[in-house]
Amino acid sequence: MSSPKANRGDKNTTTNASVPSVWSRAFTSNSKWDDKEEFLDVIYWGRQVLGIIVGVIWGLLPLKGFIALVLFAIVNAGSVYVYFSSFQSVDEEEFGGAWELTKEGFMTSFAGFLVTWIIIYSGMHFD
Amino acid sequence: MWADTILIVFISVCTALLGEGLTWLMVYRTEKYQKLKTEVERQSKRLEKRKEAHGDSLDKQHKKKIEREEEKLKNNNRDLSLVKMKSMFAIGFAFTALLSMFNSIFDGRIVARLPFFPISWIQGLSHRNLPGDDYTECSFLFLYILCTMSIRQNIQKLLGFAPSRTASKQSGGLFGPPPQQLR
Repeated sequence: MSSPKANRGDKNTTTNASVPSVWSRAFTSNSKWDDKEEFLDVIYWGRQVLGIIVGVIWGLLPLKGFIALVLFAIVNAGSVYVYFSSFQSVDEEEFGGAWELTKEGFMTSFAGFLVTWIIIYSGMHFD
Repeated sequence: MWADTILIVFISVCTALLGEGLTWLMVYRTEKYQKLKTEVERQSKRLEKRKEAHGDSLDKQHKKKIEREEEKLKNNNRDLSLVKMKSMFAIGFAFTALLSMFNSIFDGRIVARLPFFPISWIQGLSHRNLPGDDYTECSFLFLYILCTMSIRQNIQKLLGFAPSRTASKQSGGLFGPPPQQLR
């Protein structure tokens, strides 16, 4: 467990015998994250999925206007904050502060949200 | 409206893949780029570690070392963007042509309805070439830009072409710390 990481910087997620895979660690609370990049990747991809899911829900309801945008920002930033501070309880200073983690992949997720929201909204309610 | 929106998503996936493919052909696979990239990544990591270890110390020697490394990293970063630049120009050119073609295909067509009222400086994009004053109508260009924003970056990340976080942090991104922090 204390062996130094030989594959630092390697994008591929290797499954060692001693360390469970990224997937299982992402869904287990208080996992150990030796590689910062791995954890940031989990946050990034989680955000993208969340953005699309929220976009579909907002489009189906449908939620409209400025309030929906604000609500998205709150849901997105809030759930990521809860995820890393309560569920994984990582030391945010290791990643350069809570702000660094909160903004990781936010813009991409926002764009993905807008696309799904607009497509579902106009497809469901304007055909 | 389904058909148009799905088509636009499909178009932006294709153009993103095409763009990445072309960049791979012209930049990513070249030896020069790969060498520079690994070098920049290595240096960024080393610099970050060093800053963490001696960040607050007032030791002059360490400061000087860090400064020297920052200088080296800056030079390498500049070389890296130079290597990228040429092909970016070529691709940009090709894509502008492609975009104007799509623009004329979708000219004056309402491809979607926006669930929000866009602020004034976005209206120019979202209502481009559309008749009337209903600003919740969405033009091709706006949806295409949004699609590209999300799809291109995700594809880059999936394929591993996106610049690593340490490197972009050390080179001082939009919100990153200024490189002269230690001076």
